[in-house]
Amino acid sequence: MITSSKRTPLTYLVHATVLFLVIIWTIPTAGLFISSIRDKSQLSTSGWWTALSTSEQRLVARAHEPKAQTQVGDRYVISGNLFEGDAGEITKFGSSSLRPDEFDVGVVAELKKGQTLQVMENGDYLFSSPSEWKGSRGQRIFYTAETPPRFTLENYREVLSAEGLGQSFINSLTVTIPATIIPILVAAFAAYALAWMRFPGRALLVAAVVGLLVVPLQMSLIPLLKSYNMIGEFFGVGSKTYVGIWLAHTGFGLPLAIYLLRNYIVGLPREIIESARVDGASDFDIFRKIVLPLSFPALASFAIFQFLWVWNDLLIAMVFLGNDAEHMVLTGQLRELLGSRGGNWEILTASAFITIIIPLCVFFGLQRYLVRGLLAGSVK
Amino acid sequence: MGQLATALVTMILGVMGCAAYFYGSNFLLDKIFPTKSGAAKEVARNLRVANTIRPWLFLGPAVLLLTFYLFYPVLESIRLSFYGRSGEEFVGLSNYKWLFSSDEFYESFRNNMLWLIVVPTAATFFGLIIATMTDRIWWGNIAKSLIFMPMAISFVGASVIWKFIYDFRTGGEDQIGLLNALVVFFGGEPQTWLTIPIWNNFFLMVILVWIQTGFAMVILSAALRGIPDETIEAAVLDGANGFQIFYKIMVPQIWGTIAVVWTTITILVLKVFDIVLAMTNAQWGTQVLANQMFSWMFNGGGDFGRGAVIALVIMVLVIPIMVWNIRRANEEMEGR
Amino acid sequence: MKKSLLSAAVALTLSVNAAHAADLLFKPGEDSRFSWDAYEALKAVDLSGETVSVFGPWTGDEKSNFERVAAYFEKATGAKVKYAGSDSFEQQIVIDTQAGSAPNIAVFPQPGLAADLAAKGFITPLSDTVKEGVKKDYAAGQSWVDLATFKNSKGQKEFDGVFYRADLKSLVWYSPDNFADAGYDIPETMEDLKALTQQIVDDGGTPWCIGLGSGAATGWPATDWVEDLLLRTQPASVYDKWVTNEIKFDDPRVVGAIEEFGWFARNDEFVDGGAGAVASTDFRDSPKGMFQSPPKCYMHRQASFIPAFFPEGTKLGLDADFFYFPSYASKALGNPVLGAGTLVSITNDSKGARAFIDFIRSPISHELWMAQTGFISAHLGANPEVYSSEAAKKQGEIIRYATTFRFDGSDLMPGKIGAGSFWTGMVDYTGGEDAKDVAHDIQKTWDALK
Repeated sequence: MITSSKRTPLTYLVHATVLFLVIIWTIPTAGLFISSIRDKSQLSTSGWWTALSTSEQRLVARAHEPKAQTQVGDRYVISGNLFEGDAGEITKFGSSSLRPDEFDVGVVAELKKGQTLQVMENGDYLFSSPSEWKGSRGQRIFYTAETPPRFTLENYREVLSAEGLGQSFINSLTVTIPATIIPILVAAFAAYALAWMRFPGRALLVAAVVGLLVVPLQMSLIPLLKSYNMIGEFFGVGSKTYVGIWLAHTGFGLPLAIYLLRNYIVGLPREIIESARVDGASDFDIFRKIVLPLSFPALASFAIFQFLWVWNDLLIAMVFLGNDAEHMVLTGQLRELLGSRGGNWEILTASAFITIIIPLCVFFGLQRYLVRGLLAGSVK
Repeated sequence: MGQLATALVTMILGVMGCAAYFYGSNFLLDKIFPTKSGAAKEVARNLRVANTIRPWLFLGPAVLLLTFYLFYPVLESIRLSFYGRSGEEFVGLSNYKWLFSSDEFYESFRNNMLWLIVVPTAATFFGLIIATMTDRIWWGNIAKSLIFMPMAISFVGASVIWKFIYDFRTGGEDQIGLLNALVVFFGGEPQTWLTIPIWNNFFLMVILVWIQTGFAMVILSAALRGIPDETIEAAVLDGANGFQIFYKIMVPQIWGTIAVVWTTITILVLKVFDIVLAMTNAQWGTQVLANQMFSWMFNGGGDFGRGAVIALVIMVLVIPIMVWNIRRANEEMEGR
Repeated sequence: MKKSLLSAAVALTLSVNAAHAADLLFKPGEDSRFSWDAYEALKAVDLSGETVSVFGPWTGDEKSNFERVAAYFEKATGAKVKYAGSDSFEQQIVIDTQAGSAPNIAVFPQPGLAADLAAKGFITPLSDTVKEGVKKDYAAGQSWVDLATFKNSKGQKEFDGVFYRADLKSLVWYSPDNFADAGYDIPETMEDLKALTQQIVDDGGTPWCIGLGSGAATGWPATDWVEDLLLRTQPASVYDKWVTNEIKFDDPRVVGAIEEFGWFARNDEFVDGGAGAVASTDFRDSPKGMFQSPPKCYMHRQASFIPAFFPEGTKLGLDADFFYFPSYASKALGNPVLGAGTLVSITNDSKGARAFIDFIRSPISHELWMAQTGFISAHLGANPEVYSSEAAKKQGEIIRYATTFRFDGSDLMPGKIGAGSFWTGMVDYTGGEDAKDVAHDIQKTWDALK
């Protein structure tokens, strides 16, 4: 819109500043994304920015149990491979937790009682002893391995295969779509009335809307749920219904919707509305034919916000929809996943990223309309 | 498949029902008090009646919903603030006395003030800068989308992301938290960021600024696009440079929107509790009012009286903002 | 994009339904180790068409384990059990009971919370038959009855719940291989444990991994330490009075136990990462240090559930084992055991709920979970032979034959203390605050509750 024709130093400064801010703002999310596709053992031991470089890891593995030993000549031998299929390169190894990098790879290490251990670069190991191996537990081998960067979709597979995720995905959509559209409709009408219609008590209502913006949601939960139970009993249905949660989201989203939309609508050029009035158009017509198309950008941006809030909400869904499997929303499902596997970064990162995907699609989808709506309804 | 179909049908019914109300009620109003034809006197009377009723048709659902979902709970909270933990025995002012003698309250009040100063200002400032600048460059939309991205992230996601930034590993190990990795890279000692008193509040605030800048940017960007091109062209012809255009032309033009954004974020800050809950659980001196209210309300069996008192404090804090907004609204209304 | 996502979602839903059809884990009547007659007895009640809603703190694997147990109740009675789990159970149950939409059965992770709700009149007392049954069937039955007896809204004492799953807290986990490599022996007394701690430091290692982080519950692992140490430094009667606040929180005896914990946790050499890292390390991440190469620490004091958070593939008894958190040889206080448990109560009375309580107190419901993982029972009728691991069996024995068994004190205190200022106080203490000041602050909060 505003394009300066000359390429001044200022233009370069603008490019540089925006680039800098974008990088700062993106890094945390980028870190999350990269982490979510890394191998889980690398994820928790090295920073995500090292994802592309070879990482050095110190690991422990247990050799086969003594019952797997074979007799070669006069020595008893246990052999196998430490990596079991994965790629990697061993640099050092040891047999005691006290000195995990005692020996260089390839060396035949002398252990106690004439036993020896040799570990090769590719992970092959060989225990050898003059007497029979006893006991039921396999020996531990400590090794330092250079593992190449490993990327995997395994983390996502694990999260997506969680029980009931598909169901909760549908539940989330069922909750979110009406809970986005209804408040916009209700708020748009109210905002227009508060901005352009004359009636007693208008200023008071505007004040009330601002005041109600701040009501902490948690405070309303119990009185509301009580009322829901009463209403539910009256109609002979449960207190936890989709209609109930739509209206709850509508109620909680309304003050902000009215506040934002009124501020936009009040700024529309007065001449257009006045002239329509002079032409005999009723307020309903003015709203439908003039205000609504003109406020499309504002409606679209609010739609994005409301969608995001509802989609990401956990508390209201838990209270008004319940947390049994049939009604669980996506955030609830993921929260449960986090609760039971709290220590697993790979689950955390992958599931966090999954929650972002839909809202991002919505944003990119609606953003086009946002710009188009602005151009089409050119007010200027 | 059944669930999907039911979901679709209920969705359509819900949305249609809402639309039908607005159309239907206005249609009925026009039918009962026709203004298009008839005797002039009757039309004038009908017009007057219709104009008195119509605002309430427009406002009706909103007022009902607001009353039920927000206003009634507020009244209920005021009542509860005079009652004991189960909301049954009247205890007079003892909850208020408790509040003003509790150290925890002063701690969260102080922290809340810090949040109120830092977060709305920083988020609005960055939002404005980014909105202005991205309008001038060809890849502006891409930049905006990336800045907006944090808005799309649920609080579960955001807390995971920032735990990755503030993560701490002991001495010899590789740091997997970005901040500590940077500190170590420049030769410093790794820190457990979230436990450093006072400063940890700022580390938490950064998260909210990171999220809310996208909000400020989207709204402000829409307002900036509303500034008539001619105004700016005239300034350019007068030889104004970029900074002058920004400060002298753009900012005053969208001052109203800036105020709206600032108000919205301020109110959000008053309500924010999930970031604190997830990142530090209000420990190491990071308590804020909203979280304190939440924990009194529901933890340990719940104490509704004390929870309600803290909620009322949060609501009282918003009064200055309310008054200011009403003044502004009245100014706009004049002559309308 | 959306379409394919939806179809994938639908496919997932279908597969889920298929998974639910999977039937009983063990066929009734087949394995003679189980008390099948208790299962047969359930059939006396016909609950066809009735739904019993159960709400509890178990999610993930624990949820599936419980659902597999509940399947037997469904099969025997014809009722449908609808279990919902939430990790914010504590807040949710307050909202649900207060609003009148409580589940039939609530599974309380902390008796203190149940006591709070009982005082508000939201819990339905159980019959004397159940009470007598628990007294008879459980090891130290009277104490389990006392722990579940709360004051109702009129101040009368009522028996309100049956303990179902027990946790054993006085355990120290270690890696037998690491101990063998370094030549350490399992300490028999607290003096030995302290000497071993010093010894490990002298050898250049780090003895302990301690992590107090737990999201919204950060600090709780420290409360277990303090309770265990109070039981080892003072007679059990002191502990009992401390729990009810007859002995104040800032009593020197209590402060002494806190400082005893400080001996371990506030010494930079004794804990992995130094004292500063204790409060911010997640309790779920903390034990992993024992299994790293080289080991970051040698010991980890935590309850019986912790193996769920050991690195994948860790075998109990082979890669990891536990020993009893020892008592002082110099103090003749016996071998006290600290434990905890989940309490099953009726929050919305129905015929199905009563029958479910009967199921929960019968040995079969215990055995069915014991045969899976992560369950210890104090039920004498439950056959220890069905435990799925040696470790669990050993823990079951400890709980069954303990001379001095005490319930986790923080779970018994009012929620605002036991799940509030005690937690935060311990975080402050590990952060360097004085034990006396911390204890004094906690006592102040307690006073403010009255």
